[in-house]
Amino acid sequence: MGRLLIAPRALVCKSTTIEGDVQIGNGTVVHVGASIIARNGPIIIGSNNIINERAVITNKHSTPLTIGDDNLIETDARVEGRGMGHRNTIHVRAKVAGTSTLGNNCVVGVLCTTGHADNIPDNTVLFGSPQSQRTRMDNPSEYLAAHRKHLEYIHEMLPRYNHIIEAD
Amino acid sequence: MTDALSPTVLYHCPCTGAMRHSDASNEPAEKRSKHSYDTMQSSQAERAPVDSRSALFPLRVSTLENLYYCDDCSSLRCTRCVVEEPAGYHCPNCLFEVNTTSVRSEKNSCARNCFQCPVCTHVLSVVESSEGERPFSLSCAVCCWNSREIGWEFEKATGISTQIERLRAAEVAPREYSALLDYWRTVQRVSAASAAVGAGSFKQRLAVPSIGVVPEYKAVEGSSDTEQARVADLVALENADYVSYASNPRRMEPQRIRLHMKLARRCCSCHHILIKPMPKAQATQFKIQLMAANFLPTITLPSRVSLKYPQQLLEGPFAVGRMVPVALRFANPLYTEMKVDVASHLSGDARVDVAARQFTLPPFTELWEYDEDEDDDSSSDYNASSDQRGGIVDRHGNRVAIQLSVTPLVPAPNLVIPLHITCSHIDDLVDGEKDGSKSAGRKVTDSFWVYVVLGKVQ
Repeated sequence: MGRLLIAPRALVCKSTTIEGDVQIGNGTVVHVGASIIARNGPIIIGSNNIINERAVITNKHSTPLTIGDDNLIETDARVEGRGMGHRNTIHVRAKVAGTSTLGNNCVVGVLCTTGHADNIPDNTVLFGSPQSQRTRMDNPSEYLAAHRKHLEYIHEMLPRYNHIIEAD
Repeated sequence: MTDALSPTVLYHCPCTGAMRHSDASNEPAEKRSKHSYDTMQSSQAERAPVDSRSALFPLRVSTLENLYYCDDCSSLRCTRCVVEEPAGYHCPNCLFEVNTTSVRSEKNSCARNCFQCPVCTHVLSVVESSEGERPFSLSCAVCCWNSREIGWEFEKATGISTQIERLRAAEVAPREYSALLDYWRTVQRVSAASAAVGAGSFKQRLAVPSIGVVPEYKAVEGSSDTEQARVADLVALENADYVSYASNPRRMEPQRIRLHMKLARRCCSCHHILIKPMPKAQATQFKIQLMAANFLPTITLPSRVSLKYPQQLLEGPFAVGRMVPVALRFANPLYTEMKVDVASHLSGDARVDVAARQFTLPPFTELWEYDEDEDDDSSSDYNASSDQRGGIVDRHGNRVAIQLSVTPLVPAPNLVIPLHITCSHIDDLVDGEKDGSKSAGRKVTDSFWVYVVLGKVQ
């Protein structure tokens, strides 16, 4: 077993699978049933992220998998790649595959997948079936405002109904 | 398609599409049934209306659940021989009901806040941002498109359509369109007036002063050349493959969501209403629903008839020359007793013997739904042994199962046997007094063809 570092204000539920070197930043929420598995290299998760139920984050590479701040990883999403920036949304059952990376403010839509070695630039939206790609032009502050509200609500409600791993 | 059918019973609708009187079997039901039944009893010579091997077969038959029944002309109606008419319009997104008069003025789309994303056609939602004096915009949750990209920002969160109309009023193209519309209305009015005068007498024509010629149409000022060049670029056929939508931001405007309509269905020959939905958009019920399953016996192929008669009655596989017993179960949906006559049809594919040519279906009672286990007393007066000699293998509630003996004569990928069913019951509803007859009942006779699809013959 590697070491697990949980920042003081992070909320990590007890019924999660966390293996290997994992670092979870301030304010980040990890829901019940999520898996964070660092096979080789470590996984470093920034602050104020939301990782939903059944989401899987795996690092199969020797380099660290870094996840920035204010990201939303939805239910049953998979994050494999080499990392992502800030304010990204990985929707339900979407996948960041292979060795791909995400920039900032990106959206991987429901059931969409990044290419295996893609470096997705900032503000990219992957959506639809067949999958298409476009660049978003809206203001990230709107996303941030909604994300903050979401976090605030979870921080209030989650500890009432779940067992939380105490931070060191 | 027929190859893929599992053992089932299909009903034949006597229509030939939407046409009214092109088929001989569309004559009045009573006359037809009497005639056909007589001939069939005597010679079994009547041909089935459709050959099961023809390509049209899947189009001419359908399951009972998909058929309607016109109780005015006592005949089956399928989706191809009904007349459809609108019974109400509503927006599929906000479920707002739009009355018929405003459908046209609203150009058949939702006049409220419902818009489609120009990129991914998902429904747009109204979002508010904190800054600016026009804080509202339309945003797509799927592809993150925002109406700010084309400069659409709104003061209020409601009535987005009218706000857009106001934005558009300043543009040249809509003004040009309304001016053109006005011009052609004038032309139409003038030509109608002159036609009316032309039809009148010479004196009248003299009396009416000559109609002023409509002045030539002049384009509204401000329609620039670039606009025309853009249109010319779009309509140039040789470039049709290369028209770039991205270079043309006006193309990216969200469209208002099209209205949906609920349909009422009428019988094509007597215009009797068959299906009438509830007018409310949220309601999924029907005010009137004349389904064939509520009027005609439901015929099924049971795999096992009853405990008293344990052997499997639909035995496969079918082989040429081997007699196979097949059970058919009839269920009466009506509250009155129903007399059923079954006639087989002589075909080259198989020999079919129907032992029970005539039998009576007991009426449907809700009570039978509850005591399934109890052996019904209603059928105790029927003698079980005489039943079996008569070809009836089971009676239970409103259901009767009869036995057919099928002997395939040639190998076929899918054995289909046509049967002619005539059923009659006494309609004890109000109609009797109208006819002037003393008894309250009116005899209703329905006759129709069913096709029993049995499967492969080796």
